[in-house]
Amino acid sequence: GARLALARTDGAVEVYNFAANYFQEKVIPGHEARSVESLCWAAGDRLFGAGLGGDITEYDLSRLSAARGVDGGGGPIWSMAANSTGTQLAIGCEDGSVKIFQVVPGGIQFERNLDRRKGRVLCLSWHPSDTHIAAGSIDFFRVIDVTSGQTVQRIMVNHHVEKAKCECVVWAIALLSRGTVVSADSFGRVQFWDWEQGTLAESHTVSTSAALSLAVSEKEDSIVVGTSTGATYQLQLLPVKLGGLEKRWVRTKPFQYHSHDVRAVAHSPTALISGGLDAQLVIRPLMEKIQKKGYDAALRKFTFPHRRLVSCARKARLLLFQFSQHLELWRLGSTEETGKDGEVLPLCRMPEHLVQLKSKGPEHIYCSCVSPCGTWVSYSTASRFQLYRVHCDGDGISLRKV
Amino acid sequence: MVSPGALRVVRCGGSALRGARAVFSADCKYLLCASGDFVKVYSVSTEETLRLMGGHADLVTGIQLNPHNHMQLYSSSLDGTIKLWDFMDGIPIKTFTVGCELLALYTPAGAEDSVFVVIPKKGERDTFQLVSVKLTKGAGQDLEAKELSVVLDGVGASMKHIAFGREGAYVVSVKDVNLQVYFFKRKLLNRFSLSTVKTKGGDNHFSCVVCHPTEDCIATGHADGKIRLWRNFHHKKEYTYSTLHWHHDIVMDLAFSMEGTRLLSGGVESVLVQWHNESSCQKDFLPRLGSPIEYISMSSDGALCCTLHTDNRITIINSNLRFSRSIQGLIKSRDVKTGLVVDPRTKALVLNGEPGHLQFYSLQSDQQLFSLDIVQRQYIHQAGLQQSDLVKVAFSAQGTWLATVEESEEVTDPELQLKLWFYHEETQSFQLNTRINTPHDNHITDMCFRDMDELGGDSLILVTTGRDCVFKVWVMVEDTDPEAQQSVSWSCDFVGSYHNYQATNCCFSEDGSLLAVSFEETVTVWDSLTWDLKCTFCHPPGNIRNICFGRLTCSKYLIGATDYGFLCCWNLLTCALEWSAHLNVVVLQPDPLSEHIAAVSWLSKESSLFVFKPNEPRPIYIQRNLCKEKILLAAFIPRDQPEMISSEKYLWLRKSQLFFLTDTQELMTLSTKSLEERLTPSSKQLAVEESLPVTPFSVLLGKHRRQQAQEDIDLGKPVVRKKQEQASPAVRELLHTPAHVLPSASFLCTIFINSLLISKENKSAEEVADEVEMESEKAEDDSDEEDVTEMEQEDTSHMELLGETTCKLSKSQEKELRKIRKTDYSWISAF
Repeated sequence: GARLALARTDGAVEVYNFAANYFQEKVIPGHEARSVESLCWAAGDRLFGAGLGGDITEYDLSRLSAARGVDGGGGPIWSMAANSTGTQLAIGCEDGSVKIFQVVPGGIQFERNLDRRKGRVLCLSWHPSDTHIAAGSIDFFRVIDVTSGQTVQRIMVNHHVEKAKCECVVWAIALLSRGTVVSADSFGRVQFWDWEQGTLAESHTVSTSAALSLAVSEKEDSIVVGTSTGATYQLQLLPVKLGGLEKRWVRTKPFQYHSHDVRAVAHSPTALISGGLDAQLVIRPLMEKIQKKGYDAALRKFTFPHRRLVSCARKARLLLFQFSQHLELWRLGSTEETGKDGEVLPLCRMPEHLVQLKSKGPEHIYCSCVSPCGTWVSYSTASRFQLYRVHCDGDGISLRKV
Repeated sequence: MVSPGALRVVRCGGSALRGARAVFSADCKYLLCASGDFVKVYSVSTEETLRLMGGHADLVTGIQLNPHNHMQLYSSSLDGTIKLWDFMDGIPIKTFTVGCELLALYTPAGAEDSVFVVIPKKGERDTFQLVSVKLTKGAGQDLEAKELSVVLDGVGASMKHIAFGREGAYVVSVKDVNLQVYFFKRKLLNRFSLSTVKTKGGDNHFSCVVCHPTEDCIATGHADGKIRLWRNFHHKKEYTYSTLHWHHDIVMDLAFSMEGTRLLSGGVESVLVQWHNESSCQKDFLPRLGSPIEYISMSSDGALCCTLHTDNRITIINSNLRFSRSIQGLIKSRDVKTGLVVDPRTKALVLNGEPGHLQFYSLQSDQQLFSLDIVQRQYIHQAGLQQSDLVKVAFSAQGTWLATVEESEEVTDPELQLKLWFYHEETQSFQLNTRINTPHDNHITDMCFRDMDELGGDSLILVTTGRDCVFKVWVMVEDTDPEAQQSVSWSCDFVGSYHNYQATNCCFSEDGSLLAVSFEETVTVWDSLTWDLKCTFCHPPGNIRNICFGRLTCSKYLIGATDYGFLCCWNLLTCALEWSAHLNVVVLQPDPLSEHIAAVSWLSKESSLFVFKPNEPRPIYIQRNLCKEKILLAAFIPRDQPEMISSEKYLWLRKSQLFFLTDTQELMTLSTKSLEERLTPSSKQLAVEESLPVTPFSVLLGKHRRQQAQEDIDLGKPVVRKKQEQASPAVRELLHTPAHVLPSASFLCTIFINSLLISKENKSAEEVADEVEMESEKAEDDSDEEDVTEMEQEDTSHMELLGETTCKLSKSQEKELRKIRKTDYSWISAF
């Protein structure tokens, strides 16, 4: 079934299964040295990630670990995109180069370099027929012919703006099959260009702040844009006259579900999906695309983790909190009064922070547990498992590694 | 001249302009507005009311240009008729009787011979339907239009709730939270509804709807200030809308520009917002339009738009969102607290205007002369906010001093200010002289000046009465402060009271020697020199509502009206009640130029007018059932010259004219003339030429002509110019005559050249030319007179002429040519 992969800023990658009610199927814990700027599915179910570390990493979804890393060879990688058949990966690097990698069984293989221009490549998009790549940079974007490797069009985006002195960052780009390039830039504009003529077809200022991300539906009749104010906008390709052939992009619905930057958006056939700096994943179903009313038609916000991050020692009245690189052990406060449900009782003893346990190594903690009697604490990372014994004598607490 | 017919009540201003959106004529020179029972034609360039088209028996609810002839106008009214007008001439062409109340009118271009109206549904209250009315092509002027077919059911009653789409392909109606679209060709009806739940201050109720002129897009305004742009509405499910939000309160009206690239919206904020390209980020504002916007309409060429405001003001705005001009008659204020006061200087009517302003309204031109900001505070539109407002106004006899009282709306502890303004001759406006905070401890009930010419400047006294049971006398004193910019200021001189009763009214006798102050049930009379209480009058039960002194021969009488329904007349010499009458007087108004006093009573839902002289208890004139509305205020306005009135009965109208203000703030007057006479001759005739749209060719030609004239002036040839002007009729005639009735070119050539010749030769012999001119002018005068008579003949036989005289000149042309020839010969003979 359809799956959604998302990467968090700590390097963790999560996979959600649409068929199973958007259940968080897999979690690959993060790594100190790994940041993920871009994720893409290729060659069926293989998941690749690339980040500012300069490596392209394939994720082993059965063992829930990062499998192999291949150096991109162009400095930090800002963007990555797979072609429509999933056989090739294009990466955009800090040095302005766009490199093509072949997806081969068991890994990836460097194929060739495309035309290199100055300026980091912040976003990439393949044409659906795999003949061209659009690459967005600061102040301009360009369209590259894949077979020849040459830049066939270079378009400046900072024209006709009063604040032309400050740079205009093309944060997201999409190349549509009809020869239209859609760019989202830091002036809050979503612009539609005819790349062959190099002309601006339409410009929509969706926000006063930057437009950070965009995604196009499969039918290419709807676009979702995420902005740095936390609002997402839908743009739809609608007929100018009912039943007529002439169509135009129209900004339709605004959604404000996030409190901070919307860094990533995706467009499924029935929903708009967005995620941002407020650590929320929001799935907003499109009512008109859903046939029957039901569970699918509801708005979802993933604010709670699907996995257990807090474990409890019932007898010892201890709680163990799991963070990405450390654990915290707390003793619950207590009260002498009794009351009904929902009442707030006065505490006679405040909750107490007993111990903080830092994990070793660059890997992040995957899971953790405390025993019911409160004397054992354990955690594991992708490669190691640790068990500690907790000694509780009066006020002092000591931990001993087993 | 004067017909002996009955007095007619004539509306002369202040009618609500809010019946329907205004309409620009096709050439943008005229603006048509529904105003009460009339349709008004304004000139866009001069703001003048050019024409008042009356004929409807009830409120006009819709006006629309005839889509097939832009010189014609359809109007609908609550009286159940649709009228077709030629608004250039002000002639009703046809009247279609539909037979039920018409609440709105639409004439989409697509409909061939039918118009759409909103009518109430039979048998159900408060439900309305949109029907199409087939306008029958009959010969007569009054036609029946009974062929109705229902298009939409359950529509809103306001004209803003229905809009026709591009080329009349569909119609949209909004009501509450539901939107329905009906496609005429496909006979498809789509309904969309928004949620009724009011979340986060949102309110999805629709307030207005308009359609994009070239695309299939509907814009709707909502009660919470949102604007929604609907697209794809032929799909039941895949319709979509985007939202624009700036207004904080209800969107009163919307309008698309002709190309549809701009959307204008307005509401109670008095700000016109222009949205570009349906984008929420690109918008322009035109703020401080004075009062809430009720309707917005665009001209057909997109060069102008106009907004109708709730206070009956019309603002015309350029396409670049610049204020162009405003047409303002009587501004409707929330509450006329000041009463109707006459400015002695301009003879203008003075009353509350915009919040905190005093408006000076010229009755002759139905225009606001100016608006004086009294309160001088920013007015903020917000419900529940207590603002200061103007409550009392008084002018001194010569209009040099103006006293105003403003108070905040708080009932318990009013914040009072008395301001005195001096008329500055140089700036031609009133300047603030003295401001007195808290002149009384409670509301001020009345105020009057004493101003005697004979006694000089010292006689100027202002008296105010208050609910704090005192009346105060204010006098001018020399300003001792050397740093003060003015020489005089006002201060309190005397405080009088009577048994701790609230003072309600005050009035000076004509010679200024006596002051009458009413304290609840009692009228007290004071000597204005010594401030001694002279005598008291009382007519229990009931408090005194109005008092006034008689004038001229009746100056020994004091008239008072009580709220218990009595009108009393006291004799000041005998200190006794002269007569009294049982009458519930609402308004008591003495004529400043005669002995007459007008009293308006309100009894069993009709206002009646009584005019009497104080010396006889029998009224001179009675008119029962003056109008349906309650009359709140009245004023006598002195006429510029006494009118000739033959009838003995109406002699009291000779020197002054009586005006009334009703509770709907319509200004009415009494007129002895019939309707036709009231219309000024200038407004009867609009030059047809003027109404023709300016073509690029004519602009070019005009420029050329002007240039020529300019050159002539530069060369210093005034005579030549004169002659050219004289000759120009021949040329103009030549150019304006249709080609098929022109004689042969060889015949015309000599005339044309002759006309040119005269001017050249005349220059050499100026003296002779003068004589000739005299003669020719005479001849012209004669021929002009002849022309008029002949023209009339021509009009009647115009059709035949066209058929017969293919190579003959029309008579007027002949005349013209003959005239030229005449001058020609006279010149030769003189030479």
